[in-house]
Amino acid sequence: MADLTLQSVRKAFGAAEVIKGIDLVIGHGEFVVFVGPSGCGKSTLLRMIAGLEDITSGELRIGGRLCNEVEPSERGIAMVFQNYALYPHMSVYDNVGFGLKLAKTPKAERDARVREAARILQMEHLLDRRPAQLSGGQRQRVAIGRAIVRKPEVFLFDEPLSNLDAALRADTRMELARLHGELGSTMIYVTHDQVEAITLADKIVVLNGGVVQQVGRPIDLYQNPANLFVADFIGSPKMNFAPVEARVVDGGRVALVAQGGEELMRLPAGAPPGRPQTLGLRPQSLRLDPTGPLRGEVEMVERLGNETVVAFRWNRDRRWLAALAGDHVFRRGDAVRFSMTEADAHLFDENGRRVPLARRGDVGVT
Amino acid sequence: MTRRRRPLLSLASIAVFATVFLVPFLFIALTAAKTRAEANRLDFSWPTSFALWDNLVAVVSARNGMLLTAYLNSTIITVASVALLVVFGSMVGYVRQRRKSRWNGLVDFLVLAGLMMPPAVVPTIWLLQQIGLFATLPGMVFIQVAYNVSFCVVLTRAFVATVPRELDEAAIIDGAKPLDLFFRVILPLMKQVTVTNIVVQSVAIFNDFVNPLYYLPGNANVTVQLTLYNFQSQYTTQYNLLFTNILLVTIPPLVVFLFFNRQIVAGMTAGAVKG
Repeated sequence: MADLTLQSVRKAFGAAEVIKGIDLVIGHGEFVVFVGPSGCGKSTLLRMIAGLEDITSGELRIGGRLCNEVEPSERGIAMVFQNYALYPHMSVYDNVGFGLKLAKTPKAERDARVREAARILQMEHLLDRRPAQLSGGQRQRVAIGRAIVRKPEVFLFDEPLSNLDAALRADTRMELARLHGELGSTMIYVTHDQVEAITLADKIVVLNGGVVQQVGRPIDLYQNPANLFVADFIGSPKMNFAPVEARVVDGGRVALVAQGGEELMRLPAGAPPGRPQTLGLRPQSLRLDPTGPLRGEVEMVERLGNETVVAFRWNRDRRWLAALAGDHVFRRGDAVRFSMTEADAHLFDENGRRVPLARRGDVGVT
Repeated sequence: MTRRRRPLLSLASIAVFATVFLVPFLFIALTAAKTRAEANRLDFSWPTSFALWDNLVAVVSARNGMLLTAYLNSTIITVASVALLVVFGSMVGYVRQRRKSRWNGLVDFLVLAGLMMPPAVVPTIWLLQQIGLFATLPGMVFIQVAYNVSFCVVLTRAFVATVPRELDEAAIIDGAKPLDLFFRVILPLMKQVTVTNIVVQSVAIFNDFVNPLYYLPGNANVTVQLTLYNFQSQYTTQYNLLFTNILLVTIPPLVVFLFFNRQIVAGMTAGAVKG
């Protein structure tokens, strides 16, 4: 099994640069998810690793071997496509065994490997059917089976769950996690769905505009987003933002004041005063508090059973979401007040980069 | 108002077209069954005596069984041409649809030229003579392929657009070389358009009168259409034998067409929507 490294990889289609210099190291057995909005370059990056697109500049190494010019079938990769790409005129058995047949693998070995893959994916009963006779989830399993049978060093998944309905998506997600556990292979997974990213990944790579925004464990990206984009992208419902001003107050602490003049919270240190900054608070960190600093008016309520999502308006025209545990009943127009703790605050400077905040309880902070 | 008028209108048009298409066939069949004297009158009367069998024998044995040689030649030319056309036409159509290259414009122009420009016969004869293929069956096969390949390319290219590119990519990742990819993945998926190509080109080549006339002179080289000349001469025409010949010559393409009618239409329109 192998590592995969990308060094200063760039991709340009003519004059348009789509991937603008990416450095990445993927360890053996890691489940890495490339996530980002449409057009960020994640699929292009995956296809470059697969060998379906040329690398304009930079180096791709798989298992230490330079693979820029190596044929896709010789890179030790296998790919699962978004719309499965099964050969319609062949049975499931032939679909899965096509690669082995091309490689002139002896029939007995080919048969054994196809049946092994079928066993792992519980599709032995489907081997004689044609793709047209299968459901979406079954086709997906055949596509995965075709990848497994190649015994690749790296599995590549290109948004494999996008074409499945919600319930099937959740089931297949767990199956993929189980597969990763069972096979222990390196897997690179591309998706635009951050929920898939957070639940499946050992490491997430957030991409935007062909540039890596942040790389890290899911929990790190959630708790310490490196910039506004990552903070906005990860987490559901999305993080709330408001432009704030930092003012020094008594005791050397810094107050964050919203544009309407409301003081939202006090931080021990770290927020440089005077410059425009953005405060980020996740909906889950807002708590109902009749004495809280955040006063708002309810616009819409979503009661989800275990959670209530309240959309409210404050500071005249700012709309925020609050995700409250349990079931709460509100009417449109109700006045609400929220409070939040400084531990939940995220601060971003005028360039969108995270301002590191010392939190109470950190060493040396009162 | 319109709803009530439509069945009458369609019935009327069917009647008109039926007449236009069926009457000549009827005439051919009737005249083929007549004796020489009656046939020369060229009218629509019922034959007084059925000479169909005698006519058939006369036609088949004319000029030492020329009709049989003609059938053989026509079949060889048709089969060989169609085989080459389907394979090479499909290859060009496939590559042209998939690959983005700066030669695409030139290829398109050449294909279009092949469709639109009439062939220059005398220079082509001269060229064939230089190569030594004039008045030979292989030469005729090359001519047919050259004249018809544009049509095959155009049909194939439209259809290949409906085969998703991911299939190519999946096959490449599986280790398929270009020829493997074409023959094992792409061509089997193009059955519809291949059948269309085969049927349309077979009929066209089998029925071709002019090109064998130009490029395949000689009694040993005669094709089916050329046998019609046997029964026409400057002074007399044996209409009964002529029409029996026509009957014998028309039937194979008619049979092919009747059997594969649906495939032809389906294949021609299959690429039309996705484009």
